Amino acid sequence: MNEYRSPIKTALENLVIVAIILVLIQTFLEDYAVLAGWEWDLRRTLIFTGFGFDLFFTIEFCIRIYYAALNHRTKAYFFRERGWIDLLASVPLLMLNSGPTALAIMAGGGAVVGTGGVMNILKVVKAIRIARILRLLRIIKVFRQIKNADSVMAQRHVAMVSTISISVLVFSILGFTIAGSFFRIQGLESSFTAYRSTVEESILEQNLAEPGKERQLAAFASSHPQLLIVKDGGATRYTRYENSVYRSRFGPRDYSHTERGEVEIFFSSIPINQQHSRDNLLFFVVVVLLVAVFLIKYSPHFALTVSDPIHVMRRGMAEKDYNLEVRIPDEYQDDDIFRLAAQYNDKYLPLKDRNREEHESTELDLKLDDMQDLFGSGGDKPDQNGT
Amino acid sequence: MNAEQQKAAAFVGRLLSNPAISNLPPLQKEEQIIQFLKVNAPQLRPTLASPQFFGNRSWQEIFNILYRALQAVINQELIPAVERMIQNRIDFSFIPFLRQQQVDNRRVAEQLNQFLVDLISHPPARQAFSGPFTAVLYGFVDRYIEEIFNRRSYAQFEFTKVERLKMSKEEIKHMVKVVALLRPSVNLLTTSIAGEQFTGNIQSQYLDKVLGVIKDKLSYLPEQVLKSALNSNLSFQSNRYIEATGRAAAILSLRCKSFRPNQKVDRGADTPDKSWFNIARRNYKYYGFDVKMLDEFYKTAAENQW
Repeated sequence: MNEYRSPIKTALENLVIVAIILVLIQTFLEDYAVLAGWEWDLRRTLIFTGFGFDLFFTIEFCIRIYYAALNHRTKAYFFRERGWIDLLASVPLLMLNSGPTALAIMAGGGAVVGTGGVMNILKVVKAIRIARILRLLRIIKVFRQIKNADSVMAQRHVAMVSTISISVLVFSILGFTIAGSFFRIQGLESSFTAYRSTVEESILEQNLAEPGKERQLAAFASSHPQLLIVKDGGATRYTRYENSVYRSRFGPRDYSHTERGEVEIFFSSIPINQQHSRDNLLFFVVVVLLVAVFLIKYSPHFALTVSDPIHVMRRGMAEKDYNLEVRIPDEYQDDDIFRLAAQYNDKYLPLKDRNREEHESTELDLKLDDMQDLFGSGGDKPDQNGT
Repeated sequence: MNAEQQKAAAFVGRLLSNPAISNLPPLQKEEQIIQFLKVNAPQLRPTLASPQFFGNRSWQEIFNILYRALQAVINQELIPAVERMIQNRIDFSFIPFLRQQQVDNRRVAEQLNQFLVDLISHPPARQAFSGPFTAVLYGFVDRYIEEIFNRRSYAQFEFTKVERLKMSKEEIKHMVKVVALLRPSVNLLTTSIAGEQFTGNIQSQYLDKVLGVIKDKLSYLPEQVLKSALNSNLSFQSNRYIEATGRAAAILSLRCKSFRPNQKVDRGADTPDKSWFNIARRNYKYYGFDVKMLDEFYKTAAENQW
């Protein structure tokens, strides 16, 4: 049954579809930019764009849940229509990831990022960010208009299988990342923290931040590429790059900073961020490929072996003149559905044909209801009672 | 044209202009409209029997007025189409092979055209003309006979050895077309009303009587062609002598009775011809078809994705 959609609703649905496609590109670019070492200005723009998308999808979710509640179908929207995906792919991202990051950048620094104490929260935030991948499930809604338009069943099955597979994948990654944060599983962050402590200790033990030891400090720094700046009493004792390089290449998430008395040490977080981005891109590619395989391989297979034969048989049973047989592929002829189709071809259609021939009846292409101005200006179209 | 006829023509014109039937061959359009009038009679009658239309007439009278108007409109399309078909799609060069004498093709064509025009003015024959007309118009005969000769199997043997048609496949194609077009002449002596088809069991005496009538009207055509056309209406199960041309004409005519041009084939469905021939294979006894010939048509359709 086709649901009537107003032009405004259709336009909004199309807008959402465009946004889904754009957010996929944005998600990819945000991580790719880190990996490729794009300048901070560009990466900042991508972060703000991500914030904009999360805001958009949060508003979309709120509108959908509001109207679902208004129509007393909240449960149906949330579970059957997969509103939970809309929720997971919007509100948590805005609240825990893009929102705080954008606010921190706008506030001008690393209030939220960069300090050691916030590191575990960051891990959770990064994990939740992975939930953004759930947004990929919405691709199914885009493809719905292209394939299997007549088969709601095919759509539902493909969507269900894709949803389960991708959700399991995403939640496994999410769960593992969160567990790693809380149970101190050895990971990149802890290695980085340990490395940073070692470097700090070495600098302090050897008093490398003191005046006159610039050469030794430079030699030490050359063997520790993540060491960026060492300050003592506000005076810079060592810097790896010119200030212009820091301004153009480093954002608040790209360095960490510690203070030990008068000594301040800055470390580059870019390698660790790149590792995260590499992981994110891997998940992204896996999910995109999963969706693509479901849509390109599984969806046509489902149509070929389930929904198409059912569609043909349904038409054959519903329409007098529809006498096309079900095509039975050799490799699937033992499937239950094709054994049923063989019965339909060999028994039902010939019987129907004889019955039709005996009663000399044909399906009418002309329907009274479709007739416009049947009587011209001479009379009104009659209703079913002839009045 | 009086006022009633004008109203009927306008009403029928509106029905015919419906896009749902615009692609159909003319006689299928006619059949659709006849069915439409019958099915929707209870709804249409109050308005059509009002003073604005055909005031105070019975439904049967109204139906007859509309049927005549419909026939007139369809004839405007059908009769020129038949004439063009005879001129452009049929070559009578097969006749000398059967009669051993030369004939003027133009005269044969004129005679056949006149006969068919008379035939389609007779309602039962008109209704039966739909399948043969479509079979020739849409090239079914050409396509299938061509493939059957390429296969060099049962049907070809039946044409050339059993029916002893010592002629080329092109000439056999044209002969089958003429046989198909003359098939409805079996209804010539029936008096059914419009919309009802000849259904009685055909006796050989009846066919002899019809043959006597059409022989006079189609003096240029060999008797073998006329007999084949009439015999094609018999069941092959009880009449094994039926000519191969008649058997092929019968199968293709019935196939085309339900042919829908530009029919969309759903994904997962077999092609229309393949489906039809396969169903016909199951019902061959019911229709009185030659099952071996049907098998060949089926295989041809399957191989060519028709």
